[in-house]
Amino acid sequence: MEKFEQDLNEEALARRRKKEPSRKKNNLTVVRVYCKGCGLCVDICPTGTLMLEDNHESKYGVSVRVDAPDHCIGCKQCELRCPDFAIFVNYDKNEEEP
Amino acid sequence: MRDYERYIRYRTFPTPWCPGCGDGTILKSIAMAFAELKYDADDIVVVAGIGCSGRIPTFFNTNTLHTTHGRALTFATGIKLAQPDKHVIVISGDGDALAIGGNHLIHAARRNIGIKMILINNGIYGMTGGQVSPLTPQKFFTETTPYGNIEPRFDVVDLLVAAKASFVARETVNRLIPLKQVIKKSFQHRGFSVVEVISNCHINLGRKNRMKNPIDMTRWIATKTVTQPEYDKLDPEARRHKYPVGVFVEDKERLEYTDLYYQHIVPAAKAEAEREAARRAGRKK
Amino acid sequence: MIKRQVLQGNIIVAKAAIDAKCDFFAGYPITPSSEIAQYMSRELPKLGKDFIQMEDEIASLGACIGAALSGRKVLTATSGPGFSLMQEHLGMAVMAEIPLVIVNVMRGGPSTGMPTKPSQADIMQARWGTHGDHPIIALYPAFAEQLYFETIRAFNLSEKFWNPVIILLDEVIAKAHEDLTIPRKKDISVYWEKTKKIEDLNIYDRKIGQNPPRVDFFKGYPIHIDGLEHDKHGWPTTDPDTVQKMQTLRMQKIYHYLDEIVKFEEYEMDDAEIMLFSFGVSARSALAAVEMARAEGIRAGLFQALTIWPFPKKALAERFRRVKKVLTVELNMGQAKYEIERVAPDDVDKRALLRANGVPFTPAEVLAAIKEFPR
Repeated sequence: MEKFEQDLNEEALARRRKKEPSRKKNNLTVVRVYCKGCGLCVDICPTGTLMLEDNHESKYGVSVRVDAPDHCIGCKQCELRCPDFAIFVNYDKNEEEP
Repeated sequence: MRDYERYIRYRTFPTPWCPGCGDGTILKSIAMAFAELKYDADDIVVVAGIGCSGRIPTFFNTNTLHTTHGRALTFATGIKLAQPDKHVIVISGDGDALAIGGNHLIHAARRNIGIKMILINNGIYGMTGGQVSPLTPQKFFTETTPYGNIEPRFDVVDLLVAAKASFVARETVNRLIPLKQVIKKSFQHRGFSVVEVISNCHINLGRKNRMKNPIDMTRWIATKTVTQPEYDKLDPEARRHKYPVGVFVEDKERLEYTDLYYQHIVPAAKAEAEREAARRAGRKK
Repeated sequence: MIKRQVLQGNIIVAKAAIDAKCDFFAGYPITPSSEIAQYMSRELPKLGKDFIQMEDEIASLGACIGAALSGRKVLTATSGPGFSLMQEHLGMAVMAEIPLVIVNVMRGGPSTGMPTKPSQADIMQARWGTHGDHPIIALYPAFAEQLYFETIRAFNLSEKFWNPVIILLDEVIAKAHEDLTIPRKKDISVYWEKTKKIEDLNIYDRKIGQNPPRVDFFKGYPIHIDGLEHDKHGWPTTDPDTVQKMQTLRMQKIYHYLDEIVKFEEYEMDDAEIMLFSFGVSARSALAAVEMARAEGIRAGLFQALTIWPFPKKALAERFRRVKKVLTVELNMGQAKYEIERVAPDDVDKRALLRANGVPFTPAEVLAAIKEFPR
């Protein structure tokens, strides 16, 4: 991992330590084959739930990991930000289209 | 499945853009706007030119058209004139909208034809390797300005206001909900609408200007972003370095081109045809 | 009631376009073709159809292609400098297989040239103007009735073969007023295949000799049209086998149907010893010269090419078995004559009457050239 990716992880950890785990349970779905490890979701998550990790199967070398799932507050900023449709918040495959 | 995923052609994934490129975020924002407005996928056509932004239509599950460099607005004009009640979206980059396509931009604005344009401003020609564009800030280094860029950038909003566009807005890829909302608002506008989106090309512009990862560059964009009231308080020198966001022009009174055509030209022509027929009938007697 | 009228060449082409059910015109004014745009601006709105004057010729073809993809029959008209500007989009229409008709009224060139004088110097540009390997159909009518019927045929060919068709004219026949009897609607046949409902993205899938119905946007299935090289779904690709197959299909879709596309007119050719090969305004002078030569006992005949491209190679080869003297009459510094040199066997005496000063040949000048052939 490059330096800026390590910095991102440290900043995420720092944000996480300031907060208690979320009262409401939210789940995160990651589509690992689409993730390019850009780190934008890690940067934008207000509670530091996400981190980057090395992934040797991906040609980009890094992928996102849901490091602290109980800290996710369901704000959906990661899903809105992700350019690759690789992360979804409270995603239900069987959800009917509105 | 999310409602906006209906508008995505997953069979063409993964996307070809660099990790962290704003194009993917904009693709998603537009799809979300379609979903909230409940458009039928076959009633939409997305037209784009050449460049990294020109690859966006491939991933939309709507009618899509990938055209020549800078001329997307002309194709969209033909489509809108031929099928006025369909939704015609144009996605353009720096060069497509302001360099080779600059002429078509001002004419589309002047005509007020009901095309919805998303102008992606990343300050560089990304796909061809990082050459300077009309939107590159001054003093930046690019592949064709190795000693620094001496040309000032266009202010897209000023240009469009002068061309009498009826809806002009600007947002950035950092401000996700406002971006989706302003795109939705521009789709609901009847005339010609332009949303300029400040995006990040950290690989081609950022790398030569000390912002080589998406985090540094998006944070730089955030420092350049100001709201309109803040912008008004700045002096002219400071204004040159900032991008004010929001809606600048929203003129709902101005008639759209195809409306004018069918309200004014076609009835006048048909009246003329009737007069000619009456004259011919009169001559026969 | 059959109407006989005196009409300008440009107007004949415009009237024929409307009779062929053309319903979209996007153009830019340029001498000597502006009359077509002006006529369309008056007549198309009367039928509730669309006319727009765009900001330049590049925009004109762009708007035409957009409208063609939205279910319209499109026409645009221009001259030399505008035709040069249109080349990029002409190539895109060939690549994406889009029907459209372009009228190029040839004037003195190159560059601004002589806007009010004729030439026939865009023959090669009509074939090779745009970059890349591309088939093209170019028609060149000369007489009033040909102007009318060849325009209708241009629309039919472009619809049937999904390819742009160029109608070449020159400043003289476009601006000259002649009398023409407008045919009745039932004497014209217009090819217009309504798009069927599209079931999937497989829009370019076909074999040689088989043309599926045309595809449009908004017909029930979202499709992708691209200027990049693509496979049968329209997706961009660089896979060598797919690309070679698509290139071959695009060429073969025209060259498989040469008998249907190629057309020419012959005058006094049955027993001719000297063949005149000509087109457009030069063909009209050549025809008069042939009649003058026959009056003097010289066995001359005229082969007027109505399709310049694809070049009428097979028909000419048949005639060259019998005729051993050919005179190419063209108002340029030599363009079609190279095709004749390529097509005619070595024992044929190939000569050319050429001029590029904006003055059409008189029949006497052509007759003098005929007489230069040794008896």
